[in-house]
Amino acid sequence: MELPQGTLDLLILKAIALERQHGWGISERIQQISNDTLKVNQGSLYPALHRLERRGWIRAAWDVSDNNRRAKYYQLTTKGRRQLEERVDAWRSLTAAVNLLLDQG
Amino acid sequence: MLSDLMYRLRVLLRRRTAEQELKDELEFHLEHQAHKYVAAGLTHADAARRARLDFGGVDQVADACRDARGIGLIDTTLQDIRYGLRGMRRRPTLALMAIVTIALGTAAIGAEASLADTLLWRHWRADDADSLVSIGAIRGGSRTDGAVSYPDYVAFRDRATTVSALAAHYSTAPLFVAVNGTAREVNGAVVSANYFPLFEMHPALGRFFGPEEDRVPDRDHVVVVGYDFWQSWLGAAPSAPGSALTINGVAFTIIGVAPRHPVGLTPLPVDLYIPTMMLRVGYRWCRDSLAGDCTTLGMVGRLVPGRTVADAQAEFAAIVPPAWRSAPPGENRGVAVRRPRGMSDDDQESRLVAVLGGVAVVLLLVCCANLGGLLSAQSAARENEFAIRVSLGAGPGRIVRQVVTESLMLALAGGAGGLVLSRFFVAALARMFFSMDDEGHPLFYDFSPSSTIVLATIAAAALAGILFSVLPAIRAVRRPRTAHTARRTVSARWSTGRALLGAQAAAAVALVATSALLGSSARLVLTGRNYDTAHVALMRVRPRLVKYTPERAQRFQREALQRLRAVPSVESVSMVGVGAVLGGGSTTATLPGSSAARLTVKYNEVGPAYFATLRTPMVAGREFDDHDTRDSTAVAVVNQALANRLWPDGRAIGSTIVIGNTPRQIVGIVADLAMTARTQPADLWAYTPFWQNPGQIDSRIAVRTAGDPESWLPELARAVHQVDPDVPIAETITLPMRMAGLTRPIRVGAVFIGYAACLAMLLTAIGLYGALAFAVSRRTKEIGIRLALGAARAGLIASIVREGVTVVLAGASVGIVLAVAGSRVMSHLLYGSPSDDWKFYAAAASVVVAIGALAALLPARRAAAVEPSIALRQE
Repeated sequence: MELPQGTLDLLILKAIALERQHGWGISERIQQISNDTLKVNQGSLYPALHRLERRGWIRAAWDVSDNNRRAKYYQLTTKGRRQLEERVDAWRSLTAAVNLLLDQG
Repeated sequence: MLSDLMYRLRVLLRRRTAEQELKDELEFHLEHQAHKYVAAGLTHADAARRARLDFGGVDQVADACRDARGIGLIDTTLQDIRYGLRGMRRRPTLALMAIVTIALGTAAIGAEASLADTLLWRHWRADDADSLVSIGAIRGGSRTDGAVSYPDYVAFRDRATTVSALAAHYSTAPLFVAVNGTAREVNGAVVSANYFPLFEMHPALGRFFGPEEDRVPDRDHVVVVGYDFWQSWLGAAPSAPGSALTINGVAFTIIGVAPRHPVGLTPLPVDLYIPTMMLRVGYRWCRDSLAGDCTTLGMVGRLVPGRTVADAQAEFAAIVPPAWRSAPPGENRGVAVRRPRGMSDDDQESRLVAVLGGVAVVLLLVCCANLGGLLSAQSAARENEFAIRVSLGAGPGRIVRQVVTESLMLALAGGAGGLVLSRFFVAALARMFFSMDDEGHPLFYDFSPSSTIVLATIAAAALAGILFSVLPAIRAVRRPRTAHTARRTVSARWSTGRALLGAQAAAAVALVATSALLGSSARLVLTGRNYDTAHVALMRVRPRLVKYTPERAQRFQREALQRLRAVPSVESVSMVGVGAVLGGGSTTATLPGSSAARLTVKYNEVGPAYFATLRTPMVAGREFDDHDTRDSTAVAVVNQALANRLWPDGRAIGSTIVIGNTPRQIVGIVADLAMTARTQPADLWAYTPFWQNPGQIDSRIAVRTAGDPESWLPELARAVHQVDPDVPIAETITLPMRMAGLTRPIRVGAVFIGYAACLAMLLTAIGLYGALAFAVSRRTKEIGIRLALGAARAGLIASIVREGVTVVLAGASVGIVLAVAGSRVMSHLLYGSPSDDWKFYAAAASVVVAIGALAALLPARRAAAVEPSIALRQE
């Protein structure tokens, strides 16, 4: 399933909400958790990450990965955490409203 | 916002690291993905391929990342610039042509901006010039605006609170100065003591006069000399302060030397400064120059910090000097406070600057059209290059950006060249037109460059760069998709090219025609119709400066005329009493008994043989002679326009006309002078005899000589000096020099537009040549086939030339329409009858078409020289 527009940022923020993660890990995580329902275009993941970093919502740091390779890890900033909460709320109320509408019909 | 900026800055500063990190990050991803597929059982090669497929184009993703980080623009721009430089090295001729074209185009913009800046925009060159204001009276009736009397000035100065240090100045005082055995009239200034501190000037030597030396009338005979005067008259002697000189026959002591670059309030440089308390010496045209009815002083001051021009305006409007209360109602209408801007208060000049601005823009557009056509044809040669870049994944936006960057590089290089070139243009214009006024006085206009000019020129170049890249950019993006059909789009390409070339031809014709119209107008005024300026020398004698009585002055004038007549080669001599030769003042004229029809007419008091000296034909009657004296009947001569107005039945001669308040008998009708622009109605002129005005003191003398009048000027001045060496003689120039000064705006326009016209013609020719040569080279094969099938070479040449000339002809017809419109806009600068204008339009169109035909002939001949056997073997 293709991602609805504008949801990629939300998914990225959520994917690193618990622990820091590198780019590939984020794309794997989104796919795993959604049981492969959501397919993240791997190419579009990285520009989004860089954009979020520029906005100051996530922070990047180089570190050694599990397989002893240098990898760029992303983690939420305080600002990013606030954003995540706001966006989750917004998403919930949106889907609730849409569901309501669909159920009524 | 701040974090965003810091981020961009950090990324920018460590770009190389950032690039490496980006590469590492993306590789890390691909490796992991491939690893995953290997774990699922794929071979290493297959896994790597699948991973890449999942990912999409690595370069595009990297590009998108750079964009997301906000440094992509800088990065790609640098890349584009490097790429563009390589392209320029590959096509140096084209690059050079583009740069030169833009340089020539922006040079006109720069020169025009410099004219506008100096004439209209610039502040005075003083510290904190923004707070300076000039204050002038607004007058009704026949009195002129601006100047106030000394008591008026004092009233304003003492009551003003919004303006500090209100200074008075009369900056165009003709002063007859004698020192070290030389005597000559120079331009001086009568200024209040606070004038120098107001502009924060410091003396180059000695000191300025202080308030105490400007307190008691006629007491302190002190003078500050200008720097140039000190150099040329006093040999730059350090001992100059303390020495004496004579001004208008009165002894003064030099106390100081003004700085080398004083603040100049008018284009006339000031050689001497004397205090306002010496105004009676500096200004001789009032009975008492310090009285309330003698208005000769301008006022300048500095706004008190925190106060605005509007504050000052409100305050000054409420101040009514005592002399204004007793003046006739309506004579003093108030005061205008303004920030002084520019050196020109001439309406004609400001309109000229506007017209030239339009011309410069049109010229730059012509340059853009030319380069747009040329580069888009050239970019056809680059279609493979663009196609390759597109197939490598470059988006259309990227290609457009590349083309625009290349154009901007060319344009900015051209703009830099144009900036340098414009300085030469301005220097030439300054030397030709702004170094001497119409009375022979040296002028100083500060044309030094300012940031405004630099910015305007560079901005114009950048805009031009963007403009002329539009067409090649569109082409570049569109072409790759139609690459395989490119051969068939030649005619389509040529059609846009045609429109551009037609536009260039139109502009060329319009510019050629307008510059020719202006040139002929200037020539008409310079050489004269119904007057003949050649061989006339002028001089101005002012016994008033040295306080001669009218009797003594007139005795002197009579003797001077006799002496002049005796000079060999002199054919005739006459003079005027009001204003200049061929000029004058104004008065009222009416028929006796009919007070209703009071006409305002131009007026002068002229000597015997005035019209003979100027070769102005008498239509009827006679001109004044030696018998018209104070004791004979009061007589007048009118021009044809006035005669026709007052006596439509043609019975002017012998009738009575009231000029001013004096009834006079008309003895002659003189032909109209062609000295009014088309927008104005023919001037009405009335002339009275110089010798019938007993109060007349000064005169301007006109001398018709057999040879070159300029070479006779010293001899003529000597002859007058022999009569009385104490009488100041000034403005010894020739009549053509004077008319040249009078027609300055027209001649500046003619030269400037003439430059634009030449460039536009050249560009049209180059553009046409380029387009046809390109079309011919593209059609070599077709031409070869045609020739092989037996087409005549002559016919081929004719068809190609026809192709070119058709475009130019179409453009020329539009150009004539533009020229007609342009002549309307500039009609205030045009003289003579518009019925002859069609000749200029026809001539301009013929010249441009002829040049176009010539430009088309070269590629046509090359086409005709095609060898069918070689052409067919192409590809």
